[in-house]
Amino acid sequence: MSSSLRPIRDLLILVLWGSAVLWLSWSGQLTNYINPSLKPYSAVSGVLLLILALFALRALLGKKSPTECCHDHHHEQEDHCDHSHSHEEEHEASSHHLCEHDHQHGNSPGFLTLGFKTLLLLLPLGIILFGNANHYTLSTIQNRGVVQDVTKLPGVRESKLPTPSPAITQPVQSVQAASNVSTTTTPTTTPDSSAMPIQVIDLLYAVQMPSYREEFEGKQVEMIGQFVPLTTGNPKGDRFQAIRLFITCCAADAKPVGVTVQYDKPLKVGEMSWVKITGTATFPLEGGKRTAILVASKVEDCPAPEEPFVQ
Amino acid sequence: MFATAWFHFSLPDFEYAFLSILLEGMPFLLGGAILSGLLEEFLPQSLMTRLLPKNPRMALLASGLLGLIIPVCDCGIVPVVRRLMSKGLPVSCGITYMLSAPIMNPLVLLSTLAAFRGQGAIEMMFLRGGLGFTVAVLIGWAVSFVAPSSILRRELLATSSGEHDHSHSDSSASLVDRLQNAAGVATRDFLDVAVFFVIGACAASFFNTAIKQEMLLPLAASPVLSIASLMALASVLSVCSTTDAFIAATFTAFPMAAKLAFLVFGPMMDFKLIFLYSAAFSKRFIIVLAIGLFVIIGLLCWRLSALNLGL
Repeated sequence: MSSSLRPIRDLLILVLWGSAVLWLSWSGQLTNYINPSLKPYSAVSGVLLLILALFALRALLGKKSPTECCHDHHHEQEDHCDHSHSHEEEHEASSHHLCEHDHQHGNSPGFLTLGFKTLLLLLPLGIILFGNANHYTLSTIQNRGVVQDVTKLPGVRESKLPTPSPAITQPVQSVQAASNVSTTTTPTTTPDSSAMPIQVIDLLYAVQMPSYREEFEGKQVEMIGQFVPLTTGNPKGDRFQAIRLFITCCAADAKPVGVTVQYDKPLKVGEMSWVKITGTATFPLEGGKRTAILVASKVEDCPAPEEPFVQ
Repeated sequence: MFATAWFHFSLPDFEYAFLSILLEGMPFLLGGAILSGLLEEFLPQSLMTRLLPKNPRMALLASGLLGLIIPVCDCGIVPVVRRLMSKGLPVSCGITYMLSAPIMNPLVLLSTLAAFRGQGAIEMMFLRGGLGFTVAVLIGWAVSFVAPSSILRRELLATSSGEHDHSHSDSSASLVDRLQNAAGVATRDFLDVAVFFVIGACAASFFNTAIKQEMLLPLAASPVLSIASLMALASVLSVCSTTDAFIAATFTAFPMAAKLAFLVFGPMMDFKLIFLYSAAFSKRFIIVLAIGLFVIIGLLCWRLSALNLGL
């Protein structure tokens, strides 16, 4: 691809990237990838990309691209310079001519040609359009390992667990407020009147904090999570894990957090499918360690929540 | 899907992690590029050299902090330094600024803060800035004892008398035209760097999803090996300093000292920068600089981890 085509290439990439980011933001799909608090930055960046595209279009129509050096201003040593070259060519040739222009752009190594760079820049758009990239498969969950000890999560240390409030009327909200760790998902279905809607991570906090444990223990609760079969420590075959992804910034740093669910009825659920579980929260000692086990009375498929992560 | 005992590649998972890293880091990358364009167009370059202290040591310290005022990311720093040195900026100050600016850039520090939220973000931000500044000043001080002729490329030495000090900015142009110039520089910078960010995000996603993390744990458990391996990885990934913190934060199995080494070494000496440095410095100097940075940063991070500062 000739470097003279670069202004057009730049314009197209800016428009495509800006449109893609705004579309992901507008459609709500961005929440599948990044921390919700970062969404505004992405939306603004989409707008800024389109504004840059407008400037690029103006430059293109005006035949005076700022990315191409016209150099019609005064110059003291014109005999040393060939100002007809583009920046791309100039930098690639900088090792063998005397022109020391201090351009701040186009410093890519020569092996990355403009055509190859363009393909690389189109790669994310191809994945957005044609890929199936909106959740992890079981293999990555198993590669990372399911965390059941909440103190192993980023930002949560045993010594920094929140001090429980003496009067708890609504355990879920109280735990979240006290711990400064928010769970961003609300159940998408109307809960049973007797079951308390909770999050996976609430039970993990309750394992560490006796006072909260008392609020949950023996109570009917309802939570949603993704189904992960339990292949070890499951001699009767009546257990599985309900997991959520705990993120700091984006899905790349996600850690699966999970609660063991005991359910003695036949269950036909696909790996990583979203399930709503109703049952009784228990915190037995297993292998000398306190653990959370949800003894389920009902497990049913449910749609994915609007915001799939917990933070 | 392709799997072995230690490797399990899943294309959807790779795509998911890739898009997550890209969508999260892109606004910061764009912000850096726009700032770069505005500075290029609206900041008089002579101002920088006028403001530097006359005392050589103070000038070195000031150069190390210059990135706070003139923030340039690692991809855009070499042309700026070439220009400044060709206008008479001492080589030692130029190199100090070149090494520190990609870290002492406010956007970089803020992105570090955002990326490490929940993982000692404030400590990491200050340690990254402090270590980057210290190493840059140390290298600049060492360079002050070496003749510029053994550091700079011959072409740059030939022009250091300042013939080519023209700027692309034209203060008599209309505001819209100047904004258009700034947008052109920003576009060029953004797309040039975005190519390397796409490559870096690919490598990071592959590392992040395909490699079974248990295999890396022995490496992560050794302070020396973990530091050395993440510095090597920083070189391979060649990610822009405005976004590398988001990638480093995902290496949850590694100690903070190793992540710090990744965040300080990467913006100073990665594969991409080796090419860029070649535009200004001799090959011998670049090799010595790479080895020196690897040893100094490795030793300092190892020492910091031994001090038990929560790293």
